[in-house]
Amino acid sequence: MSTGVLEDRVLYPLENTSRRFYALLAVFVLTTILFLVAWVYQLNVGVWAATGIGDWGISGGVPWGLYIGGFVWWIGLAHGGIAISAAVRVINVDRFAPIARVSEVLTVLALSMAATNIVLSMGRPDRIFNTIIWWPATVHHSPLAWDIAVISLYLVLSLTYLTLSLRAEIAAFRDRLPVHFSPLYVLLTLGYSTSEDEKIEQILWWLAVAILALVPLLSGGVVPWLFSLIAAQPGWFGAAAGAAMLTESLTSALAGVIVITAIFRWAYDWDDVIDERIFRDLAIVLAFLALATIWFTMHDILTGVYAAPTNIGALTTAMLELSFFWLAVIGLVVSVVALFVMIGWPEQFFSIPALVGVSVILSITILNKKVMFVVEGLMFPTAPPLTNLYPTGSYSPTLVEWWLFIGTIFLAGFGFLVASKVIPMVELDPEEVN
Amino acid sequence: MCENGFTDPRLLSGVYINSCTFKTQSYPKPDRTVTHDEGIDMTSEIEPSACSCDDGNCACGTGGCACGSGKCTETIGDSSDQGPEMPDLGQGWTTGDLDEEWEAHAEEKLETVDFDVELGVEMSRDAMRLARGELTEAEFHDKHHEAIKAEFGIDERPTKSTPLEATRGGDGNALPGVPAVEGSGLSSRRGLMKAIGGLAATGATASVAGCLDQDAGGSASATDGDGGDNEVQMGMVIDTDQCIACLKCSEACKEENNTDRGAQWMHVFRYEEDEYGETRAGQMPRPCQHCSEPSCTYVCPTQSRFKREEDGIVVTDYDRCIGCKYCEVACPYGVNFLGKNEPTEKSPGFFGSETDQNDRHVGGPPPAGVMGKCTFCVHRQDDSAQRGTTACEDDCPVDAIHFGDMNDSESDPREYLRENDEETRFKLLEQQGNEPNIVYLGNEPSNEAKPVDGPYTYEDVGLETLAEDGGDD
Ligand code: SF4
Ligand code: SF4
Repeated sequence: MSTGVLEDRVLYPLENTSRRFYALLAVFVLTTILFLVAWVYQLNVGVWAATGIGDWGISGGVPWGLYIGGFVWWIGLAHGGIAISAAVRVINVDRFAPIARVSEVLTVLALSMAATNIVLSMGRPDRIFNTIIWWPATVHHSPLAWDIAVISLYLVLSLTYLTLSLRAEIAAFRDRLPVHFSPLYVLLTLGYSTSEDEKIEQILWWLAVAILALVPLLSGGVVPWLFSLIAAQPGWFGAAAGAAMLTESLTSALAGVIVITAIFRWAYDWDDVIDERIFRDLAIVLAFLALATIWFTMHDILTGVYAAPTNIGALTTAMLELSFFWLAVIGLVVSVVALFVMIGWPEQFFSIPALVGVSVILSITILNKKVMFVVEGLMFPTAPPLTNLYPTGSYSPTLVEWWLFIGTIFLAGFGFLVASKVIPMVELDPEEVN
Repeated sequence: MCENGFTDPRLLSGVYINSCTFKTQSYPKPDRTVTHDEGIDMTSEIEPSACSCDDGNCACGTGGCACGSGKCTETIGDSSDQGPEMPDLGQGWTTGDLDEEWEAHAEEKLETVDFDVELGVEMSRDAMRLARGELTEAEFHDKHHEAIKAEFGIDERPTKSTPLEATRGGDGNALPGVPAVEGSGLSSRRGLMKAIGGLAATGATASVAGCLDQDAGGSASATDGDGGDNEVQMGMVIDTDQCIACLKCSEACKEENNTDRGAQWMHVFRYEEDEYGETRAGQMPRPCQHCSEPSCTYVCPTQSRFKREEDGIVVTDYDRCIGCKYCEVACPYGVNFLGKNEPTEKSPGFFGSETDQNDRHVGGPPPAGVMGKCTFCVHRQDDSAQRGTTACEDDCPVDAIHFGDMNDSESDPREYLRENDEETRFKLLEQQGNEPNIVYLGNEPSNEAKPVDGPYTYEDVGLETLAEDGGDD
């Protein structure tokens, strides 16, 4: 395919708007309105009344639920997304270049949605900025303050990364981009000259290295630390949570990228832009990541049932009785088997819709695992003798909770829809134009 | 004889005297059977002379009592831990339900406290006359005011009209408290946090000072282990053997602090456990432990949860808290309750000072969406007239709660510990490293302890009923 044709194909959505787009836009606007309605309701009655969360202790409630589980899930998507994009640049595998942009946009959107979930979970969301005001004082001791730092850092890094990688492209294709976003383009290309291209490439490469180096520390560290440092909840406490969570994050992120890329490919008939080979390679990586997730799950269970301290044992036993747990296990096993069949006999079994199907199952499974991790830790709180004196907690998300969480997925979809009208969703090589 | 009309027969006038008895509610007791039905033999192993029947028609055989009609009660002579069946606080008790057995048990417990038993008995009698209409409320208060003042140092009755005066200094302002402590020691956990802080943060001066409301830059000063680093560290000694699980402390707390429905800042565990084949029943009141290493303060992202420098009390700045619930999640004791704006009928409102001496909004119930928990009645600690008291301690009929400075060897709790140095003692979940400041006397509940219903439930004492104006939103 000649470069000119590729450009035309990639820039097509920016120059033309189909009816399908408007239909989708209508759906997203509607879901956004519903999201806002539900949120206003929750703000009015209070998070304690609108959701299934409660106080642990004598009330047998669970203070963190779907929102916090959702937060962890979004963070996983975000970190994995930027890691994929950075890896593409650092290892310099041009073949994967078409998925880099989608991953970057996913990171920015997912970080915003993670933050939204935190806000949803707060008793006094109007005071959110207190965390920033007091941050200099709390960053020394509060894991939540570390998280705020990490999310902000990541948002800055990924936005910088995205902006820098866009400058040359926007400058080159300025005349073909929609006029009504001109101010944004002017801002993005402020002071741009083609002579900077090489420098920017270098900066991007180092940024990518930095991002890759930070992912294990942040996604496999700071976010799990939110839980694993808390000795009060034996279900969370421990050092291995970081590695397990990192693997899960990468798995769900890769699955997410596969789903979104496939949707774009399908929506804009980009079969020629995004080669099927890319999906095949991604399937291999995904298969091994999912396998590692199973491995960590097994590790968890085995340490929990084999001569474990009584309360950890009881906790694991109780977990084995949860249907959600078995749903997660089935989801993982089915996905791994399907993926290995696909990569083993690609001719007979590989197809992009099937891969997307498996990716969706994996994403949901990992969401389930994360919510379960949060909730389960709080259902069997503290250590004996208090753990046996307090009632076992119970939690089931309310409709409002479900809707607000799912609403964040729609919001991210909305974000993608808008992004596809503002920037090219596949990286173009400006040099070919010049 | 009693009349209907007393809402709380457990307590008349601040001491535990029970001239009336009520329907018994059985909670399992291992080694004795007590029946209170009319004309039925009491099968417990008791001294025949200890039998009494409310109709005066008592027949005692060996090892048992029998009554002609009415109720029969036994009085336990020895000082065994196993008290008689506790009366139920059903609202429908009648004069026929006399339980002298319980009275005897209560009196026996009272022998061990400093309160004037006779005053209590006398007041109880008058209280019954009051209920029968033979005495007006004003007469009642007049008659006993002086004696109560002398006995307890304070007479809050008729409580609800004057609490503002009671908790304020003469000029209406909360009086200044104990002078602030300069400098602090850094113990292991804090030291680690400081190290991490130093790593993570920009300045080497980083510290967890804020969450401890202390100047961590100060030099380390050696303090004794019990009270952590604060020079003054308020705490409690709670005697679980003395406790009779009457829930008076929970109730007093609710009245004092006007907490939400379902929130028990002071909760009383009632449990049973197997002790080498025998079932043992126990009880353990549980306030916030006001830890010396409070994990709740470390995790707070806004330093809303902090430990007061002046007395080591852990409180929440209600004006700053964002309701993230992280403190609740990080506390191993399960003492936190998110504010819901659902006051109960128990309390007419909160009348203490909402702001502490440093003008931070920490007293009383948390506003909706903000985290609350036991404050050690911080409004009392900042008020010279009530300093050193808590509502739960004041109302405990058997003096099981001793509140005071754990670092002061002359304080009430420390003295009580010394007086009872034969008793076993424990701190709850000590292995968690929070260094709690509640010391319990008695046996620690085992890992197999199972919660059981106590003699009273929160419903019994009306702690769960929403106030008329309580928004259920
Ligand atoms: S008991 Fe819990 S809430 Fe109270 S000071 Fe300790 S950690 Fe904080
Ligand atoms: S709920 Fe309030 S006091 Fe508790 S950690 Fe969050 S901000 Fe701090």
